[in-house]
Order: sequence, then C-alpha cells, then structure tokens
Amino acid sequence: MFDWRLILDAIGILIYALVVGFIFMGIERKAMARIQRRIGPPIYQPIIDTLKLLGKKESVSHGFIYNFGPVFALGVSITALLFIPIANFQLFSSNADLIVVAYLLEVPMLGIMLGAMSSGNPYSALGVQRGLLTMVAMQLPYGLAIIALVQHWGTFKLSQLVALQQLQGWSITVPALALAFIVFDIVFQALLGLEPFDIITAPAEISMGPMVEYGGKHAALLFTQHAVQLFAETAFFAVLFFGGASNLLDLFLKQLLVLFIAIFVASIYPRFTIDQAAKFFWKWPTIIGIIAVLLTV
Amino acid sequence: MAERKDFGENDGVIHYELQEFKLFEPLFKWARKKSLWIVAFCTGCGGIEMPPLATARYDFERFGIMPNPAPRMGDLFLITGYVTPKTLKRIIITYEMMQDPKYLLAHGSCPINGGVYWDSYNVVKQLDKYIPIDVAIAGCMPRPEAVMDGIMEIMRKIERGEADGWKRYRENYEYYRRNQDKLFGEGWREKEAKRWLAWI
Repeated sequence: MFDWRLILDAIGILIYALVVGFIFMGIERKAMARIQRRIGPPIYQPIIDTLKLLGKKESVSHGFIYNFGPVFALGVSITALLFIPIANFQLFSSNADLIVVAYLLEVPMLGIMLGAMSSGNPYSALGVQRGLLTMVAMQLPYGLAIIALVQHWGTFKLSQLVALQQLQGWSITVPALALAFIVFDIVFQALLGLEPFDIITAPAEISMGPMVEYGGKHAALLFTQHAVQLFAETAFFAVLFFGGASNLLDLFLKQLLVLFIAIFVASIYPRFTIDQAAKFFWKWPTIIGIIAVLLTV
Repeated sequence: MAERKDFGENDGVIHYELQEFKLFEPLFKWARKKSLWIVAFCTGCGGIEMPPLATARYDFERFGIMPNPAPRMGDLFLITGYVTPKTLKRIIITYEMMQDPKYLLAHGSCPINGGVYWDSYNVVKQLDKYIPIDVAIAGCMPRPEAVMDGIMEIMRKIERGEADGWKRYRENYEYYRRNQDKLFGEGWREKEAKRWLAWI
C-alpha cells in the first residue's frame, strides 16, 4: 500500500521549494541592492550563507526548547507547503485546507519565539514581545481578507478555489476581491517580515530580535525554514489571488510577481514602530477588509 | 604555507576539528570565504569608514559581506579604532561569544601600537596581547579601499587556511588570559557577569 510515486513527488517538491526559496531570498537581496544602486550579492548567496552556518565548528545551545524551536518551525513550514496545491500536486487535502494553511503559515513564528524565549537574552524577549503584538494586530485584516475570498467563491478547498478561478477568471479581477488583495498584500508584508513591519528583527534597534542568540547550525536551520516559508507564502498568495498554476513555470512567474511587489514596497518604506504598526493594522486594512466582506455578501 | 598543515597535531589537548566534516572542508572553506558576516565594534574613528563601504560606492555586499549585529552569527569582528581598557572588556566578551571559525580585523595603527595615543595612560597599545588579530590594516585612518584590501586579505587567508586566530586563541588561552587578568585584575569576568545578571 506504499505509493512510491507520491512519496517521490513530495520529496521532489520539497527540494524544489528549498532551492527556489533560497533563490527568492537571493533575489530579494539582489533587487534591494539594485534599487539602492549597488551591485549586490549573487542570487545564490543565501545558499552560501547556509553552508557557512552549517560549517561552523561550534553551536551554543541553551537547552532542549532552544533546539526544539527551529525544528518545530521547519516542520510546520513543510507541513504548510504540502497542503498547498503546487502545479496539480497536493499531498494533503481536506475540506477546509484554506484555514489550515492560513493557520500553519503563522505557526513557524511561534516556534522561533519559543526557542528565542528560552535563550534568556533580553533582546530576544523584546523581539518576541513585538512579534506577538504584530501577530495579534495582523490577525483581523488577514481574517477579513480570507472571509471575503471564501464568501465570494463559496469554498474552503484550495484545489476547488484554483479550479473555480481557472473557469471564471482570477480573484483579483473581481472588484471586491481586489480590495481583499490590497489587504492581504499589506498583511503579506508582515508575514514575510519585510520593511514597514520588520519590527520583529529590527537589526539596528534590537540586534536581530529573536534571532540574536541563534548561531551556527541553529541559524542554518532557521535559514532553511525561512526559504521554505517564503516559497509556501508566495505560493499561497498566488493560489488565492492569481488563479494558482498548472505547471511549475507558471507558478514561479506568479510567485516572482508577488515577491517583487513585496520587495518594492519594502525598499521604499521605513520601519514602523510597534504601536504605529498595531494602529495601522487595526485602521486602514481593517476598514478596507470590512468593505470587501460587505461587498461580497 | 606548508607547515600549517600539521598544525594542532602535537598539542594533543584540544581537538577542535570535527572529524566528520573533513570531507566537506573545501566546500565550507569556500562558503566561509564568500559569506563573511560582520560584527562591527565601532570604537574610535573607524566607524565613519563603514558607511561608504556598505553603500553604493564600495558596496561590500557583492562579496557576500553583510553587517550583522548579533555576535552569535558573526564571522568577522572589526575593531575600528583605538581600544580603551573599558572597551577591551566588551571586545573580549563579544569575541568569546562568537562561534568558532571567527576572524578579527583591526583597523588603523591604534590597535597595532597605540597610534597617536602612544603615550596615553588609558589606551591599550597592543591589542594582539589580549585577543588574536588575523589581519591588521595600517594607516590613520585607513581609507575604504584599504579596508576593502584588508577584507580581501582575510578572504585569501581563509582560502589558504591561515586565518587561524580562533585556533591560536584556544591553544594559547593561558597566555591571553594572563595578559587580560594582568590588565583588569583577577575575576573581572565574574564581576562583569554579575552586573548583567539582573537583566537575564
């Protein structure tokens, strides 16, 4: 009863997601450098960074929970990835996988915070506090965007969502869902930890926030997790608003589009402070989200 | 250098080379060279030379160098100027926090021999006695080109396996420790740690 083809597909998707996720991280750094008129690193730079971190000769550990945090985060990211329909492939499927993925994409942050809190560094504690507040703040617009989407299409199933969009046009062409798209894009910026909302790992203020104590192999694990997470989030975005994809190239182009919107926004705007971010999330995206929900009723 | 190859065989005390990584060592060496993350300890006037290095004109990110504020992740430790005993304590603590292949780049003549502060009572004249320096750049203050050249020298040394300050620190720990204790007095680490315990 062992379906070898399915297992090979799942492993192939994981390797593909890992490589493309690393390339996306590289593209992010390269594009930001080009916008600032620098040459920037090669786009495979995150792979080199991860190799270097794996090759560190010591890794300071602060106990079991500290080791468990990155592993937990990586596991959740991989699980979220396997729930998303990537080019006709979807390992797990249920009647409400939209909710499952939307939930799973936020859990890795909790895993990192679990590990960070156990390190006992005051900067980590500050970063975790900011991260949890950002998560609480972005729940409301995030939920509203998804409610608008579900109300319009009338389904919680991601594969059905893709099929419907391929029949009736992408979600973004529907006026009410275009509003939901704006809301989701603002939330997406915070999900990726990019600029207006990079309060969590504010490098010049609290020296990397939760990541301050991570080094060596733990940090390599976190880098891997970030790559998978980036791939999963962009794929989720493409599935929700750009009609999914029937092959990997199509998906790659749509993910790139989503990523470049995020990069351009990130390279223009400065960082919010935490109270400004919470106020912002509970004001404009929430208002636009409520309008979108009302329009879809 | 050929004699570096059997480095560490006759000491018999410290085995810092993880045996299982011997196979991948050339790959890791290349990766280490290509991705140096900087922990900039901006003492003195060298901190002013860092922004031109990071921005469009000299852009060190094209070599994979990234300013990283967390010492646990950093590889390259920059001492950018003169060092007083008070900052030296912080420098030693930060250096010991960093994880093992770690390199130290000293800017300017102040860490080498005191520079213009040669007769000051409160400046550490020779940083090399307290922590190992991999590459020192002469000049007061070195221009960004000189700093870039120093970083390239570090990269060349990593490729040849000569950037071994972290090994020297482990092997000659008693020597460095003796010098540090002579300057700060016995038990200075515990005293420093006690001041931070309230925050942890």
